[in-house]
Amino acid sequence: MANTEASLKEAMSSIEGTTGVALVDYTSGMALGTLGGGKDFNLEVAAAGNTDVVRAKLRTMEHLGIKDEIEDILITLGTQYHLIRLLKTRGNNGLFLYLVLDSGRANLAMARHQLKKIEADLEI
Amino acid sequence: MVPEAEVQDVLAELQRLRARVPLLSGALAASTDGLVLAHDTPGVEAEGVAALTAAALGVSIRMTDATGRGGFRELLVRGETGYIATYAAGSSAVLTLLAEDRINVGRLHLEGRRSGSRIGELVDAALERAPQPAPGPRAPVPRTAHQPGPLPHRPT
Repeated sequence: MANTEASLKEAMSSIEGTTGVALVDYTSGMALGTLGGGKDFNLEVAAAGNTDVVRAKLRTMEHLGIKDEIEDILITLGTQYHLIRLLKTRGNNGLFLYLVLDSGRANLAMARHQLKKIEADLEI
Repeated sequence: MVPEAEVQDVLAELQRLRARVPLLSGALAASTDGLVLAHDTPGVEAEGVAALTAAALGVSIRMTDATGRGGFRELLVRGETGYIATYAAGSSAVLTLLAEDRINVGRLHLEGRRSGSRIGELVDAALERAPQPAPGPRAPVPRTAHQPGPLPHRPT
């Protein structure tokens, strides 16, 4: 089991190509923790914006009558991957991990696998 | 008093904000002494909200002051069915936003802070240009929030 800070640190250091990571509460749109980013990538802005992404997808599924849950969401940009992973472990509802990857350095399959493991170990 | 042209600019900013942020049901700019500068608050009496904002602001300024947290930045109140957020807007105005419960609070803060500083620039620039009226007998009492006295004590 790892706490928020340790999990963010692990994502940042063990997942190749990671430039920023955040744990976000999508009921409020605020970040519980952030690591990386910088002045040209504001993770608070990303947390609020991607909250809208997650909410929109959940609403769309509801409208379509799909009774399932989101495991992760991948957004592919020209030079970055953005990976959103919703937390499913005991009572951690309403949270997601958000990972920003440099697509030139990242291995997407490996990143997804490692993030899944970090999520399973995370205890808030 | 803020000239009409700037009031229109402030109102345009409030309307832009409401168009941009979903679930934002009202936006209001008020002077720190509780008078409405501009409002876009359907179904809510703006004068009352502005007056209450000034009262809450007075308490907030004393709170930040008494606990050594510097000047006032923002105030968030949550009711059972929604939020009321007040952001500092320059030296003599504040921005109060009314939002529904499902709002993205992170986004509310980002947009509210940005909008607050923009309205602050508009209002401060307008007040700087406008000639200061000579203080007459009915001039408002200057705010004493910057030199607070000792905190009130409840008699035991």
